[in-house]
Amino acid sequence: MAAETKLFGKLKTTEQEHKDPKEQLMFDPRPREELNRMVMEMMTTTTRKFWLWAIGLGAGVVVLLFGAWGYMISTGMWVTGLRRPIYWGVFIVTFVFWIGISHAGTFVSAILRVFKSEFRRPFTRAAELMTTFGLAAGALYPLIHLGRVWVFYFMVPYPNARWLWPNFRSPLVWDLLAITTYLLSSTIYLYLPLVPDLAMARDRTTGIRHSAYKILALGWRGTEAEWFRLKKAIQIFAFAIIPVMFSVHTIVSWDFAVSQVAGWHSTIFGPYFIIGAILSGVSAVVTILYVLRSTLKHMDYFLRPEHFDALGKLILVFSMAWAYFFFNDYLLGWYGGEAAVRQILTAHATGPAAWVWYTMLICNIVIPWLTLWNRKIRRTPWLMFIITLLINVGMYLERYTIIPLTLGHQRTPFDWGIYTPRPIEISIVLGTFCLFTFLYLVMSRLIPLVPVWEVQEGQVAHTLRKVGKAEVPSVTELD
Amino acid sequence: MYTKVVHMALFKEEQLDHAAESITRLRSLGISDKDISVISGIPFSEKILDRPMNWTNVGRIGVAGAVLGFITALLLNFGTPFLYPLRVADMPIFFPIPTSIVVTFELVMLGLLISTFIGVFVETISPSYGPQGYHPKVSDGHIAILFSGPMDLDQQFHSTFAELGATLEHDVEEEKLWL
Repeated sequence: MAAETKLFGKLKTTEQEHKDPKEQLMFDPRPREELNRMVMEMMTTTTRKFWLWAIGLGAGVVVLLFGAWGYMISTGMWVTGLRRPIYWGVFIVTFVFWIGISHAGTFVSAILRVFKSEFRRPFTRAAELMTTFGLAAGALYPLIHLGRVWVFYFMVPYPNARWLWPNFRSPLVWDLLAITTYLLSSTIYLYLPLVPDLAMARDRTTGIRHSAYKILALGWRGTEAEWFRLKKAIQIFAFAIIPVMFSVHTIVSWDFAVSQVAGWHSTIFGPYFIIGAILSGVSAVVTILYVLRSTLKHMDYFLRPEHFDALGKLILVFSMAWAYFFFNDYLLGWYGGEAAVRQILTAHATGPAAWVWYTMLICNIVIPWLTLWNRKIRRTPWLMFIITLLINVGMYLERYTIIPLTLGHQRTPFDWGIYTPRPIEISIVLGTFCLFTFLYLVMSRLIPLVPVWEVQEGQVAHTLRKVGKAEVPSVTELD
Repeated sequence: MYTKVVHMALFKEEQLDHAAESITRLRSLGISDKDISVISGIPFSEKILDRPMNWTNVGRIGVAGAVLGFITALLLNFGTPFLYPLRVADMPIFFPIPTSIVVTFELVMLGLLISTFIGVFVETISPSYGPQGYHPKVSDGHIAILFSGPMDLDQQFHSTFAELGATLEHDVEEEKLWL
């Protein structure tokens, strides 16, 4: 079949690509020694540009996040745009956004691992790292939104002098439990497959780095018992973390759905939020993979158009699923007969903030549907970067529509209002973006971002098998 | 601890078949499986190298953690309303079943996942049996066969491994790789 479009330069046909399996990482093996060298160079190469970014982002974290948050704590919540009737603004929007982003690490890593999708191998760690830092950034927001952050310990269940216990029937307590569970388990899930690579780094470093890797590698030698134990633990984690992932965003959705607020009280919110989270998360993985591929030495060997292609297909499927759930939620509200809900839907589409609603639909539906069906576009990393960035803009606006724009049009029209985020809120939000990027930047120089042993395992398992007169790719299960 | 002299045969990553063959030959020389240990840069199943089945307690430790999480959840869900009753309209609030499921689920999963990790950690740092030793080339993809056997078979070890294309090291000592 000939390629469909020539918009983006000369195209290869599908047959031509099949003739050259070396385009795929698994069929372009290199000796392990070389893979190790490439990954170590990635970790140890720091340019002037890297340090400028690190200092800039670090300063952003100090000033934009902690500076603004400190100012808000010292002056009070009046510096934000939160006013009656809207008490949940961009802090909660960004909280939901980060928790959503954190879903893809697990999705890409655990689900694809369970289903033995081979294309996952070079980027599982990059996705898992995104989960951990996304959660870390998101977990700050309940504290920020709390205002009086020093009373946070009220949420912790322990017998105290006033006999006050957290209300275990509250979704806010469920949030605390779910996010803690997910953060701890995703951090361990990041760490476990990292151990053999830390041992590899241990063998190739000296000084402080060597000492740190030596401790973190737990004396790893690569014995049969160690591999067996590690595989068993990864298997348990891969299966167990999937329901945890689903539970986290379902619980986040229940923060809204169990209330009586018009437009929130919906049974479909759980799956709708999960699909949205996976859409935004997988998109964020692609965004990050593009940045890693463009900035890290040798990353273009590990991350290839085939990976963007595969993730592009996933994004297209999840965009369609998101549209389905969005339409379901919309339709039930529309025909539900409750005047307040219909007013909200009308306000979303025709009110002063209608541009938010339309931009959301364009970014989440129109753009992916018009572009991602095309194989050439999916295999063009910079285009995927732009598309996925736009999807995340759309997903942020979706949360903005659900939260402040819905709260502003509740049952009593005299109490309608418009929320405008104030500079302090915008600063804190930008601060957490700086925090996420800063942590990722620093970590990219501390741990091997590519799971070398998994890539080598995949390359050993992949062979070209002669069937009739053709050589076809085949995979052997080594475990 | 293992006190016998340990030998190490290093095979390149593409010599997997030879590594498997060397284990068969070691057996034919009278070396038992407990005196052989394989270290590698990627996991190979027991069947590939014709090795005895491995065994771990990680799964059981994980289940124990899940049970502990379940008990903790029961105490929080049902114990606290009894210990510290919150009276509304002069009636104590007891915990309804549907909402307690959420807390129970999260704590069970937390217990399962943390204890699985603890299981891995404890088993990893526990003393292991069989020939010890390490070579950094293992993380470069080499496969190392560690074994201990009588010195009078030394000549046969040499000829066997030379024939299979491996490099043989004698008197391999245990390296301190952690703390």
